[in-house]
Amino acid sequence: MADYSIWVLEYSYVTNYHKSGVLYGAHNQGYVKLPYCYVVIKGRGHVAMVDVGYNDKDYGKTLGDRFGVENWRDPKTVLSEVGLTPEDVDTCFITHAHFDHFGNVEDFPKAKFYIQEREISKWVWAMSLPDRMRWMMVAVDPGDIVRGVDLARQRRLVTVDGTLEDVLPGIDLHAAPDSHTWGSMWVTVRNDGKKSSQDTWVLAGDLVYQFDNLRNSGAVVDVEEMYTPVGLAVGSQANLILATEEMMSQVGYEARRVIPIHEERLRDAFPSRISKEGLRVTEICLADGEASKVS
Amino acid sequence: MTSSLHLFTRLAQTHKPECIMVLDGPTPELVPAPEELAKTLGSDALAKYAAECRPIYENLRRIIGQLAGLAILARLTTRREIADLQEMQRCEARCQETAQRLSSLHVPTGAEAHKVQLDAAYAFCRTAMRTFSEMSGQAPLEEALDEVGMRIKRAYAHLQAASSEKAGLEMVDFAHSCCCCTSRAA
Repeated sequence: MADYSIWVLEYSYVTNYHKSGVLYGAHNQGYVKLPYCYVVIKGRGHVAMVDVGYNDKDYGKTLGDRFGVENWRDPKTVLSEVGLTPEDVDTCFITHAHFDHFGNVEDFPKAKFYIQEREISKWVWAMSLPDRMRWMMVAVDPGDIVRGVDLARQRRLVTVDGTLEDVLPGIDLHAAPDSHTWGSMWVTVRNDGKKSSQDTWVLAGDLVYQFDNLRNSGAVVDVEEMYTPVGLAVGSQANLILATEEMMSQVGYEARRVIPIHEERLRDAFPSRISKEGLRVTEICLADGEASKVS
Repeated sequence: MTSSLHLFTRLAQTHKPECIMVLDGPTPELVPAPEELAKTLGSDALAKYAAECRPIYENLRRIIGQLAGLAILARLTTRREIADLQEMQRCEARCQETAQRLSSLHVPTGAEAHKVQLDAAYAFCRTAMRTFSEMSGQAPLEEALDEVGMRIKRAYAHLQAASSEKAGLEMVDFAHSCCCCTSRAA
């Protein structure tokens, strides 16, 4: 029995993203498609999202254009593919403050947002540094932080310090400090509601971009497979590897249960379809009684 | 003016208490981007002015982002001593640098309205910082943070109004704010 349905919804993509951005050290290995997605979790009377994408206007559009993002669609259009509206969403877990994850809070007027406190405090610190250290601010839109001020005033922003269990029934938040960003986190869904779940899904945010981060050739160190960090880390690759190990241990080392949201090959692992907008809808699992949205 | 028309006019101009337009100062209005004006008019003076604005945009973006982050943390941690943090001191230094850059700008004909928006963005950053520094007293924290938040948002609205895509920012879109008090009246 499953409490929650989980879908990964593509809302835009980068057609040719350099592979070394996805996979640490993959220099001169060409380009891969990089879907931009968010995750919908529906069940037990809740509609939750893992990240909210970005809004294709203001500085968010500038960043999107700079990263070569195409075919952006708004949440109303994207969520309709699974029979939902942005107003249905009551909870949003923000894995980190990059513009493509935290850049559209205003489109979810009834949601409460969860983010690691460290993610905000360290971005504030980074913004205070001299221009020559500006690299540490890459992909952050200060406008998103400004919008966070209103969320906080409305008591719709919750900062988390480390792990938070059962933020919704059977759903936990886990911190990965100083990894992809200063205060990244992932979301764990124990879909049978049990503490020692046999039906766990990990929604990895950008701690894992693609399956190759979980299972890459280890020839360089004479092992068959090894974890390989994502290409972008303001923290350390070591912390990314340690977070990956913890995520994998939560799912009993069944790699397909760690869901990367920048992965085109989700289509090979899960049922999916392409919407009329040309964006993929991937069905990770279905709650009891929920009808498929892809068949 | 008839009484009903007067009432309509007054209602149309009345803002919600949390609307950034209740604060005094110039209206955050879209203004021609100096880069585009320079091209259109073939003006070297405007081109020079546009180039000198770029570091000002960047400074203001970072000041606003910092203040916004500090406002969030102050509210969620109920800490008053924000003004004592090293980050705030760095923010102050960046503010001083911005003030110098603004005062040394030579504003050519056609860029006056643009300069008004930049000055207003800076001024609201300053008042937000001042409110932070006054928070260590006994005034209710929530009210002080509401004030800070309004000023930060107003500063951001002016910065958006003054910024062009070429300078790293897009033109302002008030669809989700209350600047005209129409989009989110509910």
